[in-house]
Amino acid sequence: MSTELLKAVAASNDWWALGPEMTLAVGALLLLVLEIFSPKKDLRFVPPLAVFTLGLTLITVVANFDKTWGGEALFGGLIRLSASGQIARVFFLVSSLLVCFLGTICLPRARVPRVEFYHIVLVVTAALMLLAQSNHFVMFFVALETVTIGFYILVSYYRERTLSLEAGLKYLVLGALSSAILLFGIVLIYGAVGRVVVDGVVHNGFEFGTVFNFLRANPDNFLATAGALLVIGGLAFKIGAFPFQIWVPDVYQGAPTPVTAFLAVSSKAAGFAVLLLLVRVFAPLQAVLVPVLSLLASATILFGNLSALTQRNTKRLMGLSGVSHAGYLLIGVVASFSQSAAAGAVWFYLFTYLLASMAVFGVMAYVAGPDDSGEELEHFERLAKDRPFLGTVLAIGIGSLAGIPPLAGFMGKLLLFVAAFQAHLYGLLAVAVVGVVISIFYYFGWIRAAFFESWSPPAPGTAPVIHPVAAAATWAGIATLAVLAIATVVLGFFPWPLTSWLLR
Amino acid sequence: MMTLLATAPFYGLPSYLFVSALLFAIGFFGVLLRKNTLVIYMCLELMLLASTLALVAFSKFNGTLDGNVFVFFVLTIAAAEVAVGLAIIVALFRQRHTVQVEELNQLKH
Repeated sequence: MSTELLKAVAASNDWWALGPEMTLAVGALLLLVLEIFSPKKDLRFVPPLAVFTLGLTLITVVANFDKTWGGEALFGGLIRLSASGQIARVFFLVSSLLVCFLGTICLPRARVPRVEFYHIVLVVTAALMLLAQSNHFVMFFVALETVTIGFYILVSYYRERTLSLEAGLKYLVLGALSSAILLFGIVLIYGAVGRVVVDGVVHNGFEFGTVFNFLRANPDNFLATAGALLVIGGLAFKIGAFPFQIWVPDVYQGAPTPVTAFLAVSSKAAGFAVLLLLVRVFAPLQAVLVPVLSLLASATILFGNLSALTQRNTKRLMGLSGVSHAGYLLIGVVASFSQSAAAGAVWFYLFTYLLASMAVFGVMAYVAGPDDSGEELEHFERLAKDRPFLGTVLAIGIGSLAGIPPLAGFMGKLLLFVAAFQAHLYGLLAVAVVGVVISIFYYFGWIRAAFFESWSPPAPGTAPVIHPVAAAATWAGIATLAVLAIATVVLGFFPWPLTSWLLR
Repeated sequence: MMTLLATAPFYGLPSYLFVSALLFAIGFFGVLLRKNTLVIYMCLELMLLASTLALVAFSKFNGTLDGNVFVFFVLTIAAAEVAVGLAIIVALFRQRHTVQVEELNQLKH
């Protein structure tokens, strides 16, 4: 290999482009180093430092939002900065900030080390941001595995609780299974594409551009089609789409509440960010992928909503309703094959889902006692009377998830359905509307539990069950939840600033 | 050694892919059907190794080196996964004194 080639590769390494990810990595390592050198038991600096690192990164990303290096591939084709990649960066940073906030509520109640939690959250955030900008299957797989392995640790973080460990084991086995399927798909694509020489430069089947050109020339290559299907199947595991959703309720229930929120929002959004990237790469395979994804979407919506109907455990309920949200988002992915504006609708939906879910998880974190995996709908009784603020935030969050008109979730669903209508996906639209109607039942069951007292006669011979009263929120918690709730309401009335930003 | 290599029959790409697909299938059905967590874990590794074999074969027959390089990434990731996975299994064994899947079902309502 000549040194000229190495020089050319090194010239495309623009480290400034990865400034945000490197800031997070440095912040994560700094947390560990400071823990060693800090006097014992005084780790109060950890959550503020993690939040500071994330906030600083968020500010730099937003300030340099338009600096995308002209959309050129950097690092020898591994990374390509784009407007959608910048949106993904902002999304993951906001989500991780809120996860750290949930961590400050939940972690002090459990006797677990705290530094590592924030460390892993920072590392996973950096990997999520790299994932959304990858332009090469090696980069894609390594970033995805960094995220997944980080999540194995986070899910089983309460390592003295069997439920958390059991959830961790289930996530580990099914996550590793999906990764192996995805890897096999990547290998098949690599094998099918083979060796491509363009202008004297050798390209191979790991580069997204090369794969796209190959598929455009040979849309009915069996090996590549099988590879693409395996990659989509592996990703369906990550977003919890039917029939790969079996892990969702168990893992969501056993994981600590901040991790459940992280899984529900960031992990799912990562799957969709990657799917939107791959839709452009696999576009020539439309004839196969559109029917498969449509089937996946409709089965996911129906399964998620129907199985959520009977749930009493709030975390399982959030998990299964999250499955149905993944189904609505898959409709957007299918629509983005023909309508490029659908990608913006998917991102808008994800932002509204972020605000509403984090509000609900915040309330759940306050309501739950030290044991947060057994939280049932009954625990929310009298919440509106005892803690009117938490009750209001819960109602706004759940209303937005259900898609009640003035709230942001309604606008998200509306934009998604309009995109599906423009793409002529009438069958999927009908399924989605049925799903939304079903979802209103279980979402309102939750609101009824919080707002309207239901009196049931105590069973003879048993002591009346006394549920723990929700913990009092700190001023920072009240401020955060208020911002989430207000943003949800305001985005419902004035979605245009965010939509014009996402769709430009 | 050289004579051994020279007399070895030449196997084409399909035979490598067949072995790889077979290993992948054994691993996949092992994960679905076996009851011992450690055996399931071995099956997961088998699936990764099946991909590695296909990767090396494709790399050789396509004439691009990137497949061989990717193998190192896959091995590193597999090692990280094993480190975390075995830690979880050991922690769970300390709590529950079992590694059988059918006894690890507290998360069912």
